[in-house]
Amino acid sequence: MRRRVGLGAIQQQKLAAEKYKDKGADLQESQLEQMTKQMEVFRNKLEEFAMKHKEDIRKNSQFRKQFQEMCAAIGVDPLATGKGFWSVLGMGDFYYELSVQVVEVCLAANHKTGGLMELDELRRRLIAARGQSAVHQEITKEDILMAAKKLSIFGNGFVIHKLGKGKYMVQSIPGELSMEETNILSAASNTELGSVTQTQLMKDLGWTDYRAKQALDKVLGEGLCWIDKQSDEPSYWFPSLFPGRNAQLTAT
Amino acid sequence: MAEFQWPWEYTFPPFFTLQTHDETRQQQLKVWSDLFLKYLKHTNQFLLGINDQNLPLFCNESIKRRLSSELILLILEHLQSTGHAAPLDKRRQEWQVYWYTLEEYGNMVYDWIQETGQTNSICTLYEIALGESTTQLDFHGVDEAVLLKALRLLEEKGKCELIEMDGSHGVKFF
Repeated sequence: MRRRVGLGAIQQQKLAAEKYKDKGADLQESQLEQMTKQMEVFRNKLEEFAMKHKEDIRKNSQFRKQFQEMCAAIGVDPLATGKGFWSVLGMGDFYYELSVQVVEVCLAANHKTGGLMELDELRRRLIAARGQSAVHQEITKEDILMAAKKLSIFGNGFVIHKLGKGKYMVQSIPGELSMEETNILSAASNTELGSVTQTQLMKDLGWTDYRAKQALDKVLGEGLCWIDKQSDEPSYWFPSLFPGRNAQLTAT
Repeated sequence: MAEFQWPWEYTFPPFFTLQTHDETRQQQLKVWSDLFLKYLKHTNQFLLGINDQNLPLFCNESIKRRLSSELILLILEHLQSTGHAAPLDKRRQEWQVYWYTLEEYGNMVYDWIQETGQTNSICTLYEIALGESTTQLDFHGVDEAVLLKALRLLEEKGKCELIEMDGSHGVKFF
């Protein structure tokens, strides 16, 4: 093939490149358009789906959980819903209702728990408080966590602490748990009976005796734990972590 | 008799140590006070000696924890403040404990008298406390010394009059 030379050829090449570019932009645009359309369709479908299964979502915990997971996967928050189509779901209401109950249950038990309650216990108490019908019985831990998160806007009066191993502690008294206190709670939650000693903290957390003593005194001073002086070394007990308490709760 | 149902706190070791935190201590004394009353009612007792160290109420062998005499005294004083106990000696070692306050006892007896139309007749204390007609009532089985105190309180209000007969007591209600 004869090689094309000269000014005309260069101009032609330039023109072609420009055309390619235009075509590319066109393509991109149409793709975007299509995507937007698809998203619109998807949104509508999701809305339809939510409307259609509104009752199921409210009543069936398994279904609700899956729906939540689906929403999370596509980056939609069904709870960020003052208005818009999600409000038709009443999903927000479900959690608002639940969070009010969470507060009620926690406050009612505050004098016994010192303001700390394990998530499992909270769930048991909630179920007991919500009445007999199956609809009310089916709440998962995720539901409670979700509901409790909504309470965080009220400041530090209501906080959830993750203690690891899927254990959560719900704190329902004002005041922030410091890192030290959270660490002590964690250490205690890993023991059989929910108690710690100074020596144990020094060993488990690598704290100095002074630091451990200070931290324990603080937890005690806030009424979060009880002290037992009838063992070799004073031990500090969290009623909220003491298994004997729940044994009786479920028995009665 | 059915076995006594201990509350969960009874197996909670620090329950036997006086708590330093104010609110916690109040809660502790309250639970102990309730437990004292329930236990005594269950075992049908009205007297408590602080030195009765082996009473299951004062110690839980399974967790090796016991109440100190100081803490027992504190609990009894708490009961006293709610009208549920009174010391019998100056050293406050022996205590009378009432399952119901004297006032409650008095009212219960008085209501019963009214309902059964026994006003203006004379009853013996034995009849009231252990008579067959009161077996279903809450004051049945009450210690006579406690009953006497409750009736004296009623007497002050002019609702009855106590009469001594051969060293035992009778009572006439108005």
